[in-house]
Formats: sequence, C-alpha cells, structure tokens
Amino acid sequence: MNNRIETLKNKMLSQPRYVSIEQALIITRTYKEHEADSIPMKRAYSLYNALHELEIGIEPEELIVGNRTKGVRYGVVFPESGISWVNDELETISTRAQDRFLVRPKDIETFRNVILPYWKGKSLEDVLRLRAGNEIDAISKVVKINQKDHAQGHICPNVKEWLEKGPSILKNEALSHLESCLPEQKDFYRSVVLVMDGVKDFMMRYHDLLIHESLLNPNHASDMKKVAEICKNLSQRPAQTFHEAVQSLWFLFVVLHMESNASSFSPGRLDQTLYPYYKKDIEELRINDREALEIIECLWLKFNQIVYLRNQNSAKYFAGFPIGFNIAVGGIDEKGNDFCNELSHLFLQAQEDLGLPQPNLSVRLHEHTNDELLKHAVRVVSKGSGMPQFFNDKAIVHEMEKMGISSKDAKDYAIVGCVELTTQGNNLGWSDAAMFNMNKVLELTLNHGRCLITNAQLGPDLGSLTTYKTFQELEQAFQRMMLFFIDKMIPCCEEVEKAHIDILPTAFLSGVIDDCMEKGMDVTQGGAHYNLSGIQMIQVANLADSLAAIKMMVYDQKRIRAKDLEEALKDNFQGQEVMRQMLLNRVPKYGNDVEWVDQLGAKWAQFFRDTLRSYTNYRGGPYHTGMYTVSAHVPMGHNVGASADGRLSQTPLADGGLSAVYGRDLKGPTAVLKSVSRLNDDCTTNGGLLNMKFLPEFFKTEIGIQKFCSFLRTFVDLEIPHIQFNVVRREDLLAAQKHPEQYSSLTVRVAGYTAYFTELAGDLQNEIIARTSYDNI
Amino acid sequence: MTISNLQVFDIKRFSTHDGRGIRTTVFLKGCPLRCKWCQNPEGLFPNRQVLYMENKCIHCLSCVHACQNQGVLFQDGKILLDRKASEDWETIVDACPTTALQFDSVSYSISELMHEIKKDESFFRYGGGVTISGGEPFLQPEGLLSLLTACKEEGIHTAIETSLYVNRKWLEKALPYLDQIYADCKIYDASMHQECTGVDNVIILENLRYLLTCAKKDQVIVRTPLIPGMTATKENIEQIASFLSSIYSQVHYEILNYNPLAKSKYAYLDMEYCFKKNPKLYSDDQMKLFYQIAGDAGIYNLIVES
Repeated sequence: MNNRIETLKNKMLSQPRYVSIEQALIITRTYKEHEADSIPMKRAYSLYNALHELEIGIEPEELIVGNRTKGVRYGVVFPESGISWVNDELETISTRAQDRFLVRPKDIETFRNVILPYWKGKSLEDVLRLRAGNEIDAISKVVKINQKDHAQGHICPNVKEWLEKGPSILKNEALSHLESCLPEQKDFYRSVVLVMDGVKDFMMRYHDLLIHESLLNPNHASDMKKVAEICKNLSQRPAQTFHEAVQSLWFLFVVLHMESNASSFSPGRLDQTLYPYYKKDIEELRINDREALEIIECLWLKFNQIVYLRNQNSAKYFAGFPIGFNIAVGGIDEKGNDFCNELSHLFLQAQEDLGLPQPNLSVRLHEHTNDELLKHAVRVVSKGSGMPQFFNDKAIVHEMEKMGISSKDAKDYAIVGCVELTTQGNNLGWSDAAMFNMNKVLELTLNHGRCLITNAQLGPDLGSLTTYKTFQELEQAFQRMMLFFIDKMIPCCEEVEKAHIDILPTAFLSGVIDDCMEKGMDVTQGGAHYNLSGIQMIQVANLADSLAAIKMMVYDQKRIRAKDLEEALKDNFQGQEVMRQMLLNRVPKYGNDVEWVDQLGAKWAQFFRDTLRSYTNYRGGPYHTGMYTVSAHVPMGHNVGASADGRLSQTPLADGGLSAVYGRDLKGPTAVLKSVSRLNDDCTTNGGLLNMKFLPEFFKTEIGIQKFCSFLRTFVDLEIPHIQFNVVRREDLLAAQKHPEQYSSLTVRVAGYTAYFTELAGDLQNEIIARTSYDNI
Repeated sequence: MTISNLQVFDIKRFSTHDGRGIRTTVFLKGCPLRCKWCQNPEGLFPNRQVLYMENKCIHCLSCVHACQNQGVLFQDGKILLDRKASEDWETIVDACPTTALQFDSVSYSISELMHEIKKDESFFRYGGGVTISGGEPFLQPEGLLSLLTACKEEGIHTAIETSLYVNRKWLEKALPYLDQIYADCKIYDASMHQECTGVDNVIILENLRYLLTCAKKDQVIVRTPLIPGMTATKENIEQIASFLSSIYSQVHYEILNYNPLAKSKYAYLDMEYCFKKNPKLYSDDQMKLFYQIAGDAGIYNLIVES
C-alpha cells in the first residue's frame, strides 16, 4: 500500500456516515413535475436529474473518481421503494445496535414534510402491502418474502459490453430502436436515451470539478488533470486504456446504485474483462504492474464507499453494510481450461494490502487450478479478512447447465452479493426472493400446526409427535406441511415481481443486461436473457439434527417417549435438562460424516428443491434454491421454538447454510466436508455457504499452507459449491470461555499438538488467548 | 479381545502434524513405558478405562442412579469414581447424557478401523495418509501388522510413532509396510532413562541403530520431546545427537517443544501430573539453543518444528 492509497484509506475511514435525503428530494420533485408521464419516464427523468444535480466531490489523491453522494458511505433514502421504516427509525438509526448512521435534524424535518407525504400509497412497499399484505403476513413466521421495500440487485451487468460501448453508443442504439419500435416500447427506449445522456453529463461534471480543484491543489494537479481527461473521454467514447476502463467500470456501478439503490451489483470476472486493456497498456509500455496495482487499489477503495441503508430488522439479517461488489478470480475458461492471469494475482494482492470488507473477493477453483493462484489465495486467507472465499466450478457449472443455462454462460458464471451464483451480463437472478424456514415447518408439524412461541394456529393441524405412530408418518406430515407453505409462498413471490414491474422499472440497468434492448423490454418485466428466482432453505443442519434425534430417541431406541418430548419442547426444556443433554450429546449430528444423519438433511433439501422447480416465476423462468443465510440464522432462529436437536427456543440456528450447528462438528474439517458433500449440488444452484474456522497458527508455515491447499483440492473433488474461512480471533476464544457449549469443536494447537479448546484448563486457555492474534502470523 | 482386534483410544482425522499431508492418526492403547510427562496418559494402560470430564458434567446424578456397587458416588458436590468397583460400566456410561463419563477407548476390528480410515481417502490423495500412534503401537503387534498390511493394500501412505521399546522381530516385520517412521529417543543416559520412563534404554538404542542402518534409514525421523529438567538438558541433547550422527551422518532429527496441554488430561483419569506448576513452552530463542547443541554434535538434517 503506497502513500496515496494509505491517505485515501484513512480519509475514507475517518468520515462519519450520514443518512442522505438529497436524491429523495430530487426524485420527489421530478415525480411531481412529471405527473402525466408513465412511471418508466418518471424514473428516467429522476435519474437524469440526479445525475445533473447531486452534489459531487473528489479527493485530490484519487485516481478513480465518482460516488452517488458527496460524502462517502452515506445511507441513501430512496422513496420509490419504501420509506415507512425510514420514518419510524429516523430517531433511532444513529443509536441502533447494528450499522448506525447519523441524521441531520433538518433532514428529518424535510423528510417528514416534503418526502413522506408524497409517497404515501405510491411506493413499492405501500402498493405491495395493499395488494398482498395479508397473504405475506400470514406466512411470515415460516417464509420471509424479500424485495418488498427495495429495488432488485444481485445482478451482474454486462461489464464487457459497457466498456466497449459506453453511454454514447448505447444511447445511439436506443435511438435507432426508437425509430422502428412498437408504440408500447417507446417509453422504454426513450428512457434509455435519457439516462445515457444523463450519464455522459455526469462524467463531464467530474471532469469540470477536477479541473477546477486542480487549480487549488498544485501538488496533485497533473494527476487530477489526467483523471479529468479520462472522464471527458469516457463521456464521448468507450474506454481505451486500463485506467480508462477501470474508471468507466466504476461510473457504471455508481449509476446502477443511483438508479436502483439496490443491494449488490457485481462486477463479475474482472480478471477476464479488464485483461485486454491491461495487456495492451503493458505491451505499449503505458503502464507497469505497480501503477496497475495502484489503480486497482483505488477502485477497491471505491467499492467501500457505497453502502446500503437497511432498516433495523434487515440490518440484523445482513449485518455490516454488505452491498456485495463481488469479483470472481480464476476458474475455467470457455473451453474448460484453467484461467488465470496477472490481474488475478494483482486483485489478490490488493486485498492483501487493504484488508477491507469490499470488494467481496471470490476465487473460482476447479480440478486444474494452478498451484500458484491457489497458494496466493490461501496466503490472503491467512491474513484473516475472511477473503477470498472459494467457489467450485466442478460443483456449479454442470448444475447450471442442467437448469437450461448455455454451456458457455455456465462456464462463465460469477458471484453476486455474498455467495449467490449468476451468469454474467444477461440475468435477472432474483436470488433472494424468499427464505423458507424448514425448522419452523417441522415445529408446526410436531405441534398441530401451532406456533410453540405464541400458540397461534399458523398451519393446518396434521397431528403432533404423539399422534404419529411411526417416523414415516411424521415425515409424511412434514412433507404435507412443506407443500402447504410452498404453495402459499409462490403467489406472494409473484405479487412482489409484479409490483417491481409497476413501480421500479430500471432503464439504465436494462441498457447493460443482454436482450432487454433487443426486446424493448425492461429487466423487471423479464427482458433479460435468463430469468431466475432463488429461494433459500433455512437450515438443513438443524433440520437433520432434529429429525435424527426424533428418529433415534423416540422411534428407534425409544429412550424418550413422544409425549415427554412433545411436552418438553412446549416447555422449552424447563426441568428437562437431562433429556436436552441426551438429545444434544447422544445422537449423532450433521457435520460428523455420519451418513444416515446427513441423508436426512439431504433428502429434505432435495424435496424442497424438486418441488420448487415445478413452479415458474412471473417472468417465465425457473425457481431454484440456495443454502445460505448471511446473518439470518439469528432472526430466523428467533422465530423457532425449542427443537428436538436440543436447541432452546428462539436461539440461533446453524450459521452459514451448509455448515453444521455451532460446536456440533466434532470430527474435524474433513468430516464436515464429507457431510456437506452428501447434499446434492442441484440444491445450491442459487448459492451455498460453508463457514470454517482455523487458528492463525495453521498458516504460519509453508507446510501449513500446502496442507491447506490440499484440503481445498479435496473440497473441489467432493463437489462442494462454496467454502470460506475465518481465522480464529482472540474474541472467538474469549467467547468460547463464556459459552463452551457453542465452541466444543474448536481445536487449538500448541507446539504441534492439538486439543479441544474448551477441554483445556483455564490457565492454559488464557495462555492460548494471549498469543492468538494476527501479529503472530 | 481377539487377535485381530485393536484397542484404540482415539482416531483423529485432519491430523496435520504427524507426517506429510492431511492424515488420520490412529492411537493404539497401551504402553510399556511410564514416561513421567506422558502426553497421552489415557493411552498408557492396555485396557479400557472410564474417563470423567468434570467440565462436561451437569451433576444430574444419572450415573449415580445407574450404579449398583457404589462405583460412582456424589460427595460434597463432586462425582467420585471407584474404577475398581464391580459395576456394569457400560450401563453407567450410557446413562450419562452429556458424555462427561465416557470410555477412553474402543475395540475395533481391522475392517471397522479401515472403514474409519477410508473416510478421508479423498484427502489422502494429495499426499496424506495414516499415522499409527499410541501408547506404543507395537504393544498390539499382530493387529498392528494386519492394519498396516490392509493400508498398503489400499495404497494408503503409512507412518508410525513409536518409542522403539519393541521386540526387533516385530519391527522387522512391520518395516516393509511403513513409509515413514517417527522414533523417539528420549534420554541417552541409561539410569536417567530408567528413572524417567520406567524402562531400560538398551533395546531402544539398539533398535535405533538397526533403523538407521537399514534400507529405510532416510524414512526415519528421530525425535526428542523437550521435558524441562528431564530430557531438555544440554548433555542429553548432545549425547543423543552424537549417538545418532555417529550411526548415520544424514539422520533426520527433530526436537519437539514441551507440550503444556497434557496436564488437562490427567485430571480426567484422576492421575497426578509430573509438574505441579506447568512449565511454559520454550521460546524461539531457547529452541534455537537446543538446535545449536544438536548441530554442534553432528546433526545435519535437523527438522525444525512447524
């Protein structure tokens, strides 16, 4: 990290985060000025005006410029999608537990007087509540329907085409379509023309600002003029150099966020997309690797400057402002050969240097990944930022093909958001349509369709644990309960999609997603080449453990009577600690390479996935499934009463999605991989998430790094879709002292010997805590 | 116990420091030595024992209720075990809901053991394998040989950790099936060895001489664990290093840092640990001094702990 980068990083991190209503005011005014226009045109004018009017800023050291607010990391209020929560939380957002923002008192007043009244009944949230609020609420303890109050993100735009065309050519293409299109397509093309014009002007505004500020900053003037020139060029023609390409790319993502304020637009395989520009500059001696790295690091900093304002509840599910600029490195090329180049390594190096939460860096592995890239990636993992995460082409590509995605597109997949899979530049994946809590379904199956927490009748009364004479009978009831809620969920998902079509068309995004321009159809309407919907199943680990406990203890060994367990679950195991400990310790658990337990999870994951595949979403594409939660295992667990796996009422479920329940994987990481490999890959075409923790000592030596690499090689062979590594921190060990039951699988290593941390005496634990820090690496 | 069965006190998967690659280490129970510092005290006795882990106990007294002849008592808020009492220990252990009470070992047939080992076959492909440790693996020689044969039939890389207090006959028989041998050389001085380990070291030193002159001498790594006041003296390291290098100048030799983790295990077995106050790990600088001593005494191939 050189001086420039360090200065920029420090400036960025020292700035306070504010809630911004600047764009909300522009949008509200524009809507009022264009009452007679269609919503697509209103949206286009709003973006056009924002591109012209939003206050912009630069730092003299910046080589890459642009943001959607003058301040960095501001939380942007976006009225079209939904602001009732903003109104409710304006007073608490600066003090809430997770992801705080400051609010200027004057803004609260303006928001309530000018913005809020206009949008009442017009926002996505309000429209949807009116149309389907009851249906969505009725299943909310089992199914969390998403995308209800914000625009759709988790999209990988066609970066390659954007770089090759830029706003000028895209505008001209829309103009020529406009001449020959059907009347009902006119507004679509007009809105594309309008926003592309706005983007060109937006780029020129940065040129002008840079020239102006360069007069005040003589030390940086020559760099600033150079960047100004780049902005000017890009407003007129496509990118030609590496620096121009990176700047053009960043403008693309700024404007996408300005238009949609959605979570995660991802650049995809940048080591592929940017390579021609890099290579040409290197060959023509326009740039060297040091300079290229500096530009990359400037972009990496930018990825940290746009954050996403979530409501208090959502901030709990997705803690830490994740917005997911996901970049995929490596992987196979279109012929199936190993792909990797200098940029792949420079990206890893930038992550190593900066250690910031964005971009979300992903390495695609496959059977022929070269050792050099794998080792480099592992070295970056050892620094402890949790990145890069790893994806497995062997588990992913053929499953995508089976879903009807072309072989070329499947081989070229990328990642959006956290771990969601997508094709690049041609897909509205709608990857977070809903989260389906299978453990709540089991709870209702075991208890006459009644909620254990509130006793409300949430589902049909199919019986209870005492009435099911066999485990098969119980499973049949569970299946019926699953179908009941899936059937209720699908119409709700459709209502959400319809509301997005009506309220949140996105002209700019449609300009950079394949087929929309040809079809004259907005991406929300189904204009994209691929139209998927992803639903997450929550959580297979707990489900497998609960079913295994019931099967073994109640039906097979009859050590616990059905009636006693049913009562104990109702009472949250009050006075039944011995039974709870039996369930926890005397039944094998998912994550320990015990086939029959793992299969119980795999079976129901498969059932859920197969059932969903029989439905078609509103845009005509397939539903598919994912197994990841980000941080949703905490609030999702809050909805579930005591469970037969020994879990207490309302406590968190397993984290990750593929991972075992905290502390229950006692056979080590290889056993975890074996268990996870029993889940079929077609259950995770929307993404899977496996978390693992390692002690920093593991990475201290070259031998340790080599062993880690061979572990990842087997991860590929076992066809597991995803894995990410957290290096154990001091805080983890302190937490393990407090809650040993959650950390019983945590092993530590002293001088080459391994032991379970929680089984060590207190003084030894303290000694290990004292020396566990990254400085040791 | 039938001849082909093995009494195993642990099978540790993803064992990453008992040989190359990712390994599964099988710990065989029973040891003829009584090293004062033994880091696996549950491996000392050949028979199955009951372990009691107090920190897992919720004092539900299920075990007390399950016993017939006062093998488990609850006194002053503590669970007390009388392991010699005539009891149905299976039932007692089974009654414990938390596994605070557990057997320290399980008897496996070779095929059961191979089933466990092969679970991580897909990891062994990248250079890993099986390590047989103990206790002293050669204390169950027939079973050990069958196990090693079975591993080689499956093409699995094999390593062993042995005290070398072993009848030469068995060592010779096992050798063809071993890819890597970790042999301890704890104390050179005979009387000190007798005092600290309970056995004479003549057999050990002779077996070392045999190993370091056999065809597989380059697959042998001789190790000395550093135990303060016992093995970790300048004289001892010097004597061992000279002895080894005089037999084979290219011998691979490793000095292992003290392991303070063992102490916790003694409590589970109601046994006394050799140190009242647990010593600390040797610092990097102290370790370098030991390396220096070994180097000066003629060791070229010193393996520095990773």
